[in-house]
Order: sequence, then C-alpha cells, then structure tokens
Amino acid sequence: MEMHSEGGQHILVCVSPSPSNPKVIGAAAKMADAFHAALTAIYVKPTDYDVLPEPDKARLRANIRFAEQCGASITTIIGDDVPVQVAEYAHISGTTKIVVGRSGSTRRHFWSKPPLTEQIILNAPDLDVYIIPDSAADLKQQKESFRLPEHVRLSGREALRSALVLAGATGLGLLFTRFGFSEANIITVFILGVLLISVLTESPLYSAAGSLASVLLFNWFFIDPKFSFHTYETEYAVTFAIMLASALITGTLANRIKLSARHAAREAFRTKILLDTNQLLQQAEQADEVLRITARQIIMLLNRDVAVYPRAAEDSLGEGRVFHADQSGAARPGDAQERDIAQWVFQNRQAAGFCMEHEPGAGAQYHPICLNDSCYGVLTIRLERVPLEPFENSIVMSVLGECALALENLRNAEEKERASVLARNEQLRANLLRSISHDIRTPLTSISGNADTLLAHYRQLDAETLEQIFSDIAEDSAWLIELVENLLSISRIENGRMDLHLSLEVLDDVVEEALKHIDRNAAGHRITVRPSGELLLVDMDARLIMQVLINLINNAVKHTPPGSEISIQSRRNGGEAQVEVRDNGPGIPDAVKPQVFELFYTGRSPVADGRRGLGLGLTLCRSIVEAHGGSIALTDNAPSGCCFTISLPMREVQIDE
Amino acid sequence: MNNPLVLVVEDDAPVRNLMITTLKTHDYRYLTARNAAEALMMAASHNPDVIFLDLGLPDMDGIEVIRRIRGWSHVPILVISARSDDADKIEALDSGADDYLTKPFSVEELLARLRVTIRRLAQMNGEGGGDRSVYTNGKLRIDYSAGVAFLDGDELKLTSMEYKLLCLLARNTGKVLTHTYITQRIWGRSWDNDIASLRVFMATLRRKIEPGGDSPKYIQTHVGIGYRMLKVD
Repeated sequence: MEMHSEGGQHILVCVSPSPSNPKVIGAAAKMADAFHAALTAIYVKPTDYDVLPEPDKARLRANIRFAEQCGASITTIIGDDVPVQVAEYAHISGTTKIVVGRSGSTRRHFWSKPPLTEQIILNAPDLDVYIIPDSAADLKQQKESFRLPEHVRLSGREALRSALVLAGATGLGLLFTRFGFSEANIITVFILGVLLISVLTESPLYSAAGSLASVLLFNWFFIDPKFSFHTYETEYAVTFAIMLASALITGTLANRIKLSARHAAREAFRTKILLDTNQLLQQAEQADEVLRITARQIIMLLNRDVAVYPRAAEDSLGEGRVFHADQSGAARPGDAQERDIAQWVFQNRQAAGFCMEHEPGAGAQYHPICLNDSCYGVLTIRLERVPLEPFENSIVMSVLGECALALENLRNAEEKERASVLARNEQLRANLLRSISHDIRTPLTSISGNADTLLAHYRQLDAETLEQIFSDIAEDSAWLIELVENLLSISRIENGRMDLHLSLEVLDDVVEEALKHIDRNAAGHRITVRPSGELLLVDMDARLIMQVLINLINNAVKHTPPGSEISIQSRRNGGEAQVEVRDNGPGIPDAVKPQVFELFYTGRSPVADGRRGLGLGLTLCRSIVEAHGGSIALTDNAPSGCCFTISLPMREVQIDE
Repeated sequence: MNNPLVLVVEDDAPVRNLMITTLKTHDYRYLTARNAAEALMMAASHNPDVIFLDLGLPDMDGIEVIRRIRGWSHVPILVISARSDDADKIEALDSGADDYLTKPFSVEELLARLRVTIRRLAQMNGEGGGDRSVYTNGKLRIDYSAGVAFLDGDELKLTSMEYKLLCLLARNTGKVLTHTYITQRIWGRSWDNDIASLRVFMATLRRKIEPGGDSPKYIQTHVGIGYRMLKVD
C-alpha cells in the first residue's frame, strides 16, 4: 500500500507544551521550505488534557499558533500512546519525514519505556526521523517524573484482590510453619503471591506494593521475634533485600508480559478489522457502498452512531447518511450544526469536534476522509461526549485512510472508464462521418441528376426510360430515408450509452408497426408474420426496437434474391420475449458470422448493391437490443439462409380492474 | 358530401406543391397557407372540411395553432410533422389534433388518412340528428342504452373495463386517442401501472372483437402513442 503523494514530500512535526517546542517547529518549517514539502503539525492530546496545568495549556496554544504561522496544517489526535499514534498518523497521511524534539532522559531502566524518539523509530521503521536536541525538555521531564504516572489508576476492587492474595499467602505460610517447613518455602509462597497480584491487577503499583507488604508480613509473622518488625539476626536484612528484589522483578516482568499479550491481542484485532475493511472495500463498486462499509466497520469497532457526509461537488457536501449502532434505535438525522461543522471540516481538511482544537464543544468528532489533496467526505462519530480510547482512535484513522484510498481508486477507475468511452465514441463518430458522406452523396447524385434530366429532356424521353428514372428516384429516396432513420437512432447514443424512452409495449404491435416501414422493393419477397398469440409485454423504446426490426427485415430483403421467403415470428422463452427474422437466402458463412455485428461491415453477397456500403444497421441493432438488457443472435436457417433472433426481458404486469 | 375542401398549411414550397398536386389529381378542393397567421384566417373565413397542418411553422408553434382553431371549431386536423419524437405527436393529439403523419410520408398514406377523416366527418354529420344510442361499425354494434355490444349479431362477453374502452374508442372513431387520454378517461388518472393495464385490456378486447382469420381490424395500434377505432365498411 503506497500512500505517498507523487514525488511530494510531507513533513510531520510533533507539537507539545514544551517551552523549547517552537525551536523544533522552526527547524521543521525550515526543512519543509528546503524540500518544498507540505508541513503538518500533529498534537497528540492526552485524555486527561483537562487536568493539565494552565501554564502548559497556554504554552501549547502558543506553540500551535506558532506552527500555524510557520505554514503548517494542524492535526489533533486524542490519545495517550504518543509514539504509536504519531507513527500511525504518519502512515495514513503519507508522511515522509518526522521531526521531533529529543525529550526525556536517555537513561533506560529495565522497567521503563524507551524514550519517545526511539519508540517512534520503532513504530515507523520506514520513515526518516529527525531529532532536534531539546535540553529544556530534560529538565521538565525530570520535574514531571514526580507526578504519578498517568496509567496508574487505583481501584478499591484491585486493592482488595491484592490484600486477599497476601492474606492467602500468609495463611499458607502459617500452615507451613505448623508442618515445620523451612522459611525458604514461605518466601516462595510470597513471591508466588506477588506474581498472582501482578496478573490479577492492572497497575504495576500493586505488585510493587505487594512486594513490600510481603516482606513486612514475612517479617511480622514468621521471623522471631514474631508479631514485630524486629529481627535478631542481621542476615535477615539480606534475605529481605533479596526477597524484595525478586518480588519486584517477578511482578514487573509478569506485568510486562501481560501488557505485551494485551498489546498483541489488540494488534491482532486491529489487523483483523483493517483486513476485513480492506477486503470489503475492494469489493465495493460504488462510492456509496464504500462509505456504507466504512461506517459499518467503525460502528462494529466503536459501537457508536456514525454519520457520513459524502462529497457532492468540488467544495460542498451532500446529504448526510446516519448509521446506527443500535439497529432498533430511532434515527436522529443530522442537525444544522452537525452539517455546518462537517462543512468546515471538509473545507479545511482538518478534524474537529469534541476534544479537538476546533469546535471542542460539539458532542461528536468530525474526521475528513482525505487522501493527498482530495477530500471525499466527512465522517462524524457521535461520541456523546465520551472520548475514544487512544487505541480506537488510531484504528479509526487507519479505517478512514483505507476508505479514502478506496474512494480514490474508484474515482481513478471512473475517470479511466470515462476517457476510454470518450475515445471509443470519438472513433465511432469519425468513422461514421466518413462513411455517411459517401453514402449520402451517391443516392443524392442519382436523384438530382435524374431530376435535371427530366427538367431538360422530359419530352424527348420514351416511356420506358421515364419509368426507369422515376423508379430510380423512388429507390434512392427510400435508401436515404432509411439512412436518416438510422442516423436519428445513432444520435441518441450519448456518452456510449443510449438515451432510452421506455414505455410498456405489446411486442406483436411493434412488429406489425415495423412492417409498415419496410422497403417498397420488398414486394418481390414473401414476408409472413406469425405472432405468438400471447400478450408479450416488454419495457422498450418502441421507436428504437422498431428500428431494429426494420433493419433486420430490410437486411433480409437486401441480401436475398427476389422470391425468397422471410418469416417473422414472436414467442415467449421463459422470462424473455423473442422475435425471429428468418430467411431462406444464401445464408452467411460461419467465418463471417462474428463480424456481421461490427461497425461498417458490409456483406459481399452478389445481390448486395456495391455502392450502398454503410454497414451500420446490425451494429446499431445490437447496441439498441443490448441497451434494453436483451441480446441478439445469428444462427443458420435450415436448409439455407440465416436467422436473427432478438431476445428482450419481459415485464410481468399487475392489473388494476 | 362532395369535393371536400382541404386547407393545406405548410411553409416548405416543394412539400406544399406535392400535397397540392396529390389533392388536385384526386379531385379534392384545396386552400393553402404558408404560415400560422394565414392558416387561422383561412380556417375562420373559408370553413374548410379538413386541415393538413405542418407543426414547424415560421411564425407560431403548430400546437398553438391547433389550440386556437379548437377554440371555435371541431374541424378535423391532420398534423404533419418532420419531428419524429413521439412526444410532439402526443402533445398535438392531446391538444385536439385528430391524426398525425411523419415526414417523409408517402402520397398513398396521405390519401388514406384523408379518406379516414372524411368518412368520420360523414358519420358525425349523419349521426348528428339520428339515433345516437346505437353505434354500428361493420359487424360491430354497440347498444349504449342497454350497455351491450354485438359482433355479427352475437352478444360479446365483455368485462366492464373492456366495454368502457370499446365505447370510448367507438365514440371517437377515426381519431387517434393517446394512452394518457384513454387512461384519464377510464381511471381518472394516468399512472405507469394504468398504462400497463390498458395494454392488457386492449389486448383482451381485441381478441374478442377481432377473432382472427378474415375478421376486419377495428382497432389500430399506434406504437408509443395510442389507439384508434377505424371505420370499417
């Protein structure tokens, strides 16, 4: 999946409340200038943004303003996992370079996370990451490290669980003492207890507290003098230290394993959702369908109501469609305010709404469905003021990215199709004009020439010659009339598709009407009609279908010697109505059959008049029948001749008495 | 009625000449008008029996000419149009025209239509003061007061819908009735489904009054436009 804009560079800079952040932004802006790249400033807003101290918020606002002044477009993402979300956004937006300030200490404790810069590099291995030295951040980071880590949340239930585990360990220890087991067993039981606590609780704080408590409990209950924190032997100090260390390490390790297991599970879930989305989107053939699938996937993920505003014109959104998480829930259509914000998001290609820079008072979040420079719509997630989890947020961004990509693919395919239709049409028109000018001139020459002769020499001509001239004029005019009728039908083919005026018609009536328009010189042929006797109702453009029948019958007349039989039969064939035009002429050789429907193919039959070359009729017949959802087939007639069959879908009719 | 008077309204000289020659050779009397203004004046002052009207006139739309003439006269109007679009024909018929012909038309066709119109005229005049409760056309007879139709003396078993259709067509013998006009008269509305129903009832009605073989065709289908009851000898 390649999402980079063609040749264009895209630089992402991270915004933070740090006082040295403007330096980082400035460096990124200079870099963007040098590379002629687009610059996006991203701020990952923590979920506890509201409790940030006011000076931090003020600094953050100043930094964002500064980024704007530097020409960056601002993006805010909610979440606590900064490196993952920055890397995720970088992927979705097609970023080529990330600029970050070096924050946090470079020291790594075995239980602490690697610094931000390293995590970003880990999460986005294929991106260039530029690190701007940021000494002030170190100071700040150290000061802040005294704050309780954000992810530590205490709950009474987990504390109780830990206490119970410790009580159990103590009880088991007392039992062991009764049986005279050694202290080493009791220590093992306590370490097992700490392990259990770290598995049963969320925060590593419980296992740390548990480690300390188990040392104290061990001292209180099992070391002489019992029920006091005193010890007689100093070697116990070493025992306690080792016990504490092993309990702490065990707890931390177990906690980390649990975290990474959860991370893996989330990663798997995320991959699955993305894979599903990707597969579903690839099958979608309409922009509508893409948006519907995207909305459904996001609902599956978040279980919240979603509204989609598709792009209607270059800079305006269409009617919003609301998708409900709860199928039975009453539909709440998007109100004017939702529309206004969606329109703003669409025009600025920037997310807005709850917890965002723009419109933070709204109850929903608005995300643009964007790729490169094109915005395809806006997706509204109705949060009802309950924020998304950072993990959910990053999947939403990925799904939206997939959605935008699918929409872009559809648009590209559409444009390609349009171009090829246009080219085909152009070709058709050019060929048509060339042959028409020839085919119109010939009979016109004959008519005007004959008329001139009549005007000048009428009295000198004998009766036989006169009759010949009159019949030539009549014949040539008939040919021109037929040509003009076909041209009128062709002019209805616009943009490669036919403009049909459908009405419900009785097929046999249309056959009968078509026969009234058959060439005069068909008098030499025996034409019989065998109607089906059934009421064959077909939704059709009667004029065009008549044209098809006229062409087929005239074609049979033209390519068979006088005296030949032409029979026209209609019948029902399952859900289709068929008309057959059968003749007993010389037939069409198998080798030529596939070509007869091609444009400008003219039969080489000895009966055919060489100068009348326009092989327009059968091609037109096929286009017309296919535009009606039907088909046309050419088969041999036994013992000789050929048979053209057109099949049209029938309509079942409900009758009102 | 001898030598009916035909008003030919046509701005194109060769076509006008063609029609005049045709009328002359078949002993019809005729008048000509080259535009709508002349046509309206001639129609008012000479009281023609039939009008041939070209829709594409230089000074006024032909449809408007029909509407104005219909303001004071029921003279049969045969529309002649180079526009092959059905919508134009339907509009002309719904505005009061009796029949239509598309250019290029054959001289034979023109004469045939003229004969149909004149026969209808004769019937209208003949029935004017006579018994209007019984309609006779070839072997077809409708007794309006009894609400029964007969073919060759035998009573036809028609559903009420078929009978209504038959009466509507019979009262307008010789005139092309558009689908919309018929459905409006029968159902009081014109929905897509009514037009479908019309097709079906018309087919069953035709099966009853035109049982095949040598039986004459009473109802003529105009594909995409409507139906017409023909006067059969």
